[in-house]
Amino acid sequence: MTIRGLPQISTGRNGVGAFILQCKRLDFHYCDWAGSSRGMNGFIKSLLPKFAAAHPQIEITVSPRPRKHPVVVGHYVNGKTKSIEVKNMEPMQVLQKVKLLRDASGEKDKRTTKPVTSINESVRGIWSPYHGNGMRV
Amino acid sequence: MSRALLRSVLELRPAVPRPIASPRILPATQIRALQTQTPRQFNPTAQFVDPQPRPSQLPEQSTSSLSSSSQREPPKQKPNPPRVRLPTTPPEITPQKLDPSVKSLLPLLAAQPAHYITIHIHGRPYLVTEGDAVRLPFLMPDVQPGDVLRLNRASTLGSRDFTLKGSPWVDERLFECRAVVTGTEQEPVRVMIKKKRRCRRKKHVFSQHRYTTLTISEVKVVTEVPEDA
Repeated sequence: MTIRGLPQISTGRNGVGAFILQCKRLDFHYCDWAGSSRGMNGFIKSLLPKFAAAHPQIEITVSPRPRKHPVVVGHYVNGKTKSIEVKNMEPMQVLQKVKLLRDASGEKDKRTTKPVTSINESVRGIWSPYHGNGMRV
Repeated sequence: MSRALLRSVLELRPAVPRPIASPRILPATQIRALQTQTPRQFNPTAQFVDPQPRPSQLPEQSTSSLSSSSQREPPKQKPNPPRVRLPTTPPEITPQKLDPSVKSLLPLLAAQPAHYITIHIHGRPYLVTEGDAVRLPFLMPDVQPGDVLRLNRASTLGSRDFTLKGSPWVDERLFECRAVVTGTEQEPVRVMIKKKRRCRRKKHVFSQHRYTTLTISEVKVVTEVPEDA
């Protein structure tokens, strides 16, 4: 008898039952000297404490990265990362980018044409010509 | 110019915590947002006490104030009073009497295990069942991931053998449909090439849209209809 792995019983669907924010960590890298980090430094001083307090489920790390442009990196539950360079931006623009990283799911950008994706079985079943009353031609 | 910029930045500074703890505006007429995950306080007085509201405090400019902090200062304040748009509540629908056939057949519909429902958001129909993921064709304002929306506009509600059709809408008291905002999704960058005939010049126009994603967390048929219905 061959060994068979356990089949997956259920698929996780975020929001059914519990909701888990997909962004688990945000890294902020800045430079003290360079001018492109000015908005980022202002963001870290003025806006980041409020943002961090409002999102206790996100781990936030701030670390210097001298002689480089400022970067915000988001780490997601599915193991992927997404990074945005925020050079020469104002603090509010950096906040927009941070919100974008917070709302993202970590998946690759896909073009979808159908709005609804479902893994449920069809509620009304599949139509069959051999069942029901039939149709007189 | 630089003074105006500096002044705008200085003026924006106190308005900085707004986008995080901003008062909630109801997203649309069809959608009633229920705050279950992170209850944020609604503070309607913040828009009124200010004798001369800054442009960033007007609700219709609240989203644009996030995008650009420069070029915000208007040259001079106009003397006319500023328009303050209040969050609108959907018009009250007077409860109609339910048809007796609906009353008799609704328990049969509710007894069958799986249900589907055609909900309408901004006039567009989405046929969903419980647990489905919906990518809306627009970015919904003033929602955060984790918010729960009560969807109360539906045109059909059905199970395997029964379908309740609305004319045009199913009575709100007969079902409960809730959706969780799971985040925003981006599409890949679109590139449109603008080209005119007999001219070598090509212009590439880039666009990238963002969409709100929902998960239908609950579809329930309510069988205990109030007596006056």
